[in-house]
Amino acid sequence: MRGPARIAVGYDGSRGSEAALRWAAALAGSLGAELRVVHAVGLLEHAGLASLSVHEGRAREVAADEGMEPNRVEWCVLEGDPGSVLRRIAEGPDPVELLVVGTRRSSVHPGLLGSVSLGLVACAPVPVVVVPPTHRGR
Amino acid sequence: MLILAGPVGETEHDGGAHPERPARITAALDGVADLHLGSDLVTVAARPAARDDLLRVHDAEYLDELESFSRRGGGALDPDTYVTDSSWDAAVRAAGAGLVAIDALESSGEGTAFVVVRPPGHHAQRDRGMGFCLLNNVAVAAAALVAKRARVLVVDWDVHHGNGTQEIFWDEPHVLYVSTHQWPLYPGTGRPEEVGGLDAIGATLNVPVPPGATGDVLLRAMDDVVAPAVEEFQPDWVLVSCGFDAHRADPLAELVLTSGDFAALARRAAAFARSPGRLVLFLEGGYDLQALRISTAATLGALVGGFPAPEPPTSGGPGAEAVRSAALDRRRAVEELSDRLFALDSLDAPVTDRPRRGLGGAQ
Repeated sequence: MRGPARIAVGYDGSRGSEAALRWAAALAGSLGAELRVVHAVGLLEHAGLASLSVHEGRAREVAADEGMEPNRVEWCVLEGDPGSVLRRIAEGPDPVELLVVGTRRSSVHPGLLGSVSLGLVACAPVPVVVVPPTHRGR
Repeated sequence: MLILAGPVGETEHDGGAHPERPARITAALDGVADLHLGSDLVTVAARPAARDDLLRVHDAEYLDELESFSRRGGGALDPDTYVTDSSWDAAVRAAGAGLVAIDALESSGEGTAFVVVRPPGHHAQRDRGMGFCLLNNVAVAAAALVAKRARVLVVDWDVHHGNGTQEIFWDEPHVLYVSTHQWPLYPGTGRPEEVGGLDAIGATLNVPVPPGATGDVLLRAMDDVVAPAVEEFQPDWVLVSCGFDAHRADPLAELVLTSGDFAALARRAAAFARSPGRLVLFLEGGYDLQALRISTAATLGALVGGFPAPEPPTSGGPGAEAVRSAALDRRRAVEELSDRLFALDSLDAPVTDRPRRGLGGAQ
């Protein structure tokens, strides 16, 4: 069985999403796969009330740090909730074969803060890897 | 007669500089006051929804987590959605206000109800708050009506797709969920191909329209796509997720409706109700305070009569083709799902007693 040729990772600049990006970039780099870094634009971001300008640069920096060649990293910005955007990426005309997400799950409020990843695990049409925020990469 | 249920959220659930803020309730109430309804306005106070009412649409674990999170002071659920120490109480009262409105309408047998509450609800899913929403107010009301064997039409003209309401009633054949919304836009759901689950094929109806769409486009969607499905569905109640963020002044989206367009949409919604006293509007989005005020007045004025909308309706924007293709895509999706259901049932012996739906004939 060959590994996935196209991998997508959700990234919103948070600590959890950076851990996911590190894991996904390391895997994609080792497999020679393409990595799609997906940023979902929320309500406030759409209205210019929150900024996404720092995200792409930081994402590319992290991917390079994990050994990804820059030309194999694609930055995707789509309107929507992270869960629905990643599902669209997995179901679209050029679908990925693996989704990677972080989690903001906390031991105090596990149900509230981890449900994007839980929802994807339940409904995504491709395998989903959930990376804990404690993952530090190489 | 106008029944005003609430208000909830005039002071509580305050996220500071966040656009979903207490002043929205003041603006909506000002819009109601502009109608000068006198004795034709009846205000009924909200009561907290019972846990059993909430459990029809939300998971127990989520309710417990949300209450606990709020009681501990709250924080950010996601980059858009905040919780404060007063959010749980406000959300439970907001969810209960719709039930109070229904009770009041059932008692009076006439009139229209407006549920003036926040936090809004239509993005809230069974197990998750999102998009400024914590509990799904309109879904709590619709589920209570379904429990009484009513057939419920939910019309959602908020500029954002009501993904939470859609998810909650995805397999519920007694609720027809209809949404017009800007596409692409948050939350990224609401494609025409999303028509409901196998137990409720066609009971979800989505008409996404492009940025710049005018009021005539949404009316065309109502007349050409929604009305035939409603005629077939024959609702007992009509609930409206009444967001005003499709107004041209709203900072969160790019549709260009006016208050006059909301008046016209309200007349369409009223026409979907088969009996008097069966129409309830729930405040959802709407983040420009002046637009919220005049749109509230125009919408309710169209329903109680005698109040001209302060802005004329709009026309000529893009979206007619989107409406046409939505009808075709929807029909195709309904046919494919129906075929799949037929194939599944052919494998089952004996044939299941699964409810069948066929609302795909709408063009």
